[in-house]
Amino acid sequence: MNNFWTTVSHTAGRRLKSKTFIWSTVIVMILIIGLINLNTILNGFADSDDSLETVAVIDETEGEASFGELLDSYEEGAFEYIHYTDGSLEDAVEAAENKDYDFVLSLQGSTTTLEAEFLSEGNDFTTAQQVNQDVQRVKEAVATNELDLNEEELALIYSPITFNEQSLTEGGDVRTEAEHMQAYWMVYALVFAIYIIVLTLGTMIATEVATEKSSRVMELIVSSVNPVTQMLGKITGIALVGVVNLGGLAIAAYIGFMISGEENFIQMIFNDGIEVSLLLYALLFIFLGYFVYGGVAAMLGALVSRAEEANQAIQPLIIVAMMAFFISLVGLNTPDSTFIQVLSYVPFFTPQLLFLRIGMGTVPVWEIAVIVSILAISAVLINVLAARVYRGGVLMYGKFSLKNGLKQALTISKKES
Amino acid sequence: MTLVIENVKKRFGDQMAVDGISVQVEKGDMFGMLGSNGAGKTTTFRMILGLIDPTEGLVTWEGKPLSYKRTNLIGYLPEERGLYPKLSVKEQIIYLMRLKGMKKADIIKDLRDWLERFQVPEYENKKIEELSKGNQQKIQFIAAVLHKPELLILDEPFSGLDPVNSDMLKNAVLRLQEEGTTIVFSSHQMANVEKLCEDLIMLKKGKAVLQGNLRNIKRSYNMKRIHIRADYELDFLKNLDGILDLEVTKDGGIIKVENEQVAETIFKRVADKGFVRKFEIEEPSLHDIFIDKAGENDNE
Repeated sequence: MNNFWTTVSHTAGRRLKSKTFIWSTVIVMILIIGLINLNTILNGFADSDDSLETVAVIDETEGEASFGELLDSYEEGAFEYIHYTDGSLEDAVEAAENKDYDFVLSLQGSTTTLEAEFLSEGNDFTTAQQVNQDVQRVKEAVATNELDLNEEELALIYSPITFNEQSLTEGGDVRTEAEHMQAYWMVYALVFAIYIIVLTLGTMIATEVATEKSSRVMELIVSSVNPVTQMLGKITGIALVGVVNLGGLAIAAYIGFMISGEENFIQMIFNDGIEVSLLLYALLFIFLGYFVYGGVAAMLGALVSRAEEANQAIQPLIIVAMMAFFISLVGLNTPDSTFIQVLSYVPFFTPQLLFLRIGMGTVPVWEIAVIVSILAISAVLINVLAARVYRGGVLMYGKFSLKNGLKQALTISKKES
Repeated sequence: MTLVIENVKKRFGDQMAVDGISVQVEKGDMFGMLGSNGAGKTTTFRMILGLIDPTEGLVTWEGKPLSYKRTNLIGYLPEERGLYPKLSVKEQIIYLMRLKGMKKADIIKDLRDWLERFQVPEYENKKIEELSKGNQQKIQFIAAVLHKPELLILDEPFSGLDPVNSDMLKNAVLRLQEEGTTIVFSSHQMANVEKLCEDLIMLKKGKAVLQGNLRNIKRSYNMKRIHIRADYELDFLKNLDGILDLEVTKDGGIIKVENEQVAETIFKRVADKGFVRKFEIEEPSLHDIFIDKAGENDNE
């Protein structure tokens, strides 16, 4: 037990103290803070005067109502509309070219056949959209006015209906759209997180083992520590590195939101954003998934002789993780399909797919219990097998070949009674 | 009896790496294990250390099998040297010795003593990759002995060392033995084995071809070496039965013969031929025995 913690602290300490780790974490943290505040930063570059952009309105419509006047007095929009009465469209365009106005809007037709032409420079398509909305609003006001509708009648038209969802079966579970979207993003995040964890931490574990082998220090170490203890110590140590890394990113996100003045967003996440049970499931699946993939990564790392070969050795594992990732993306839209259901029993896919099923669909409790048990048992079995291979693999040198390597490692480590 | 290896066999697939060897080493003894490459020395060491299980047989230390609970009793210098290239001498010795259950303060204190003894105290905070190969080996040796093991296993401890460092290491090993450490070591350098150990085993293809006390082995070994000085050529002896090797020198020669009878025949022949200035029968050197035994024809 003592040697286990010595190994954990050695593995984690060496990584955490390395300049590469510190700088990459710091840089990613800065990136995150920057991304969250991207809007503020971009606005900082834009011209700083905060007066509204102006739109010259040429009103050539027929009918009683003057759209030009109404837009001029319209104050809700993001623009200042000015009824241009000093000349024709050409004059207005010329004025805009002289920077008297930012945009020009020309209106023609009647209330029923209203046509708007928007003249602008640049490529911000949202401007036209907003102008379109503003004109639409004003048109609605004019139309209701012409139809002579009063407030009550207006309210009648626009009041929302009450829409409730109920399960078909008694006690069944139905998700509201908000819950659905939230689950969608959580599943997406978790699936992505597991993929990244396997990619980075799995590679780290394999490289760590392969490095000790290639420097030949391994034989000295396994003469002091049981290889199984050492392997689990390494997996745990790398997990700690991962936790520190993720912790750093979380802190960066927090700082980022504090700076951007969106603390409310964080409160929202913690108060009513995240379903606690879903969060617990996520942690459980990350934990079990880490040991399934980590065990295999350590095993593969033990089969190579040189650190450079670690990436090659771990390739099959990354492909499996990638498959799980893409299957999950497909499954997000069909969580209850038989395909996803069956695959969720496969230990390498369970963390992603079962979480997806729990998050996006409905899974009976007994089934969750069964699949999680399979996953947990597999995690143990995989680590037992990995330990056997590891024990032989660390004493083995030569060209890397997955099949022969496995066979040879098992021969060397053969338990004899 | 401290270290007992009882009829140990190890099979890898259909290949016998070690095929039934038995060894007993008394406490405080220095035991030599000889054999050419692939004879099964390293596999035997790994079985002593418990890194691999014997297919048959048993290895015990003071009556009990060695397990990971007792690794602090053992020191090991592997044939393939290896330390963390990026860590400083101090950092890695601390890590390796903490695995042996030592406390950090004791480790640092003992490390300084050893660096002092090897006359390299300035290396404490140097990275391994900055050291020369010979100096890396000193650190490797320290990593094997700092925790004062009762059983020390040295796999080819002298390979790659210059004469000065080799002597320094030899003295350190002898001192450890004086302090009561039981030492098992392998070497290709027969001179070192002759100087250091009393008992030895010689392996070939996993089997013991020779085993016992070094002096007895040499005395009872049939093969002899004859030094002759004479005023005539010794070539005429070439075709005599029982001659293993004939090395002609300026004023005579060195002849390796199968046994003493052959020596007598040779004596008669040279006496018939003329005056003999010197005729001496020597016990074979370990080197001769090694070549004789380990180099034997493989067609058995």
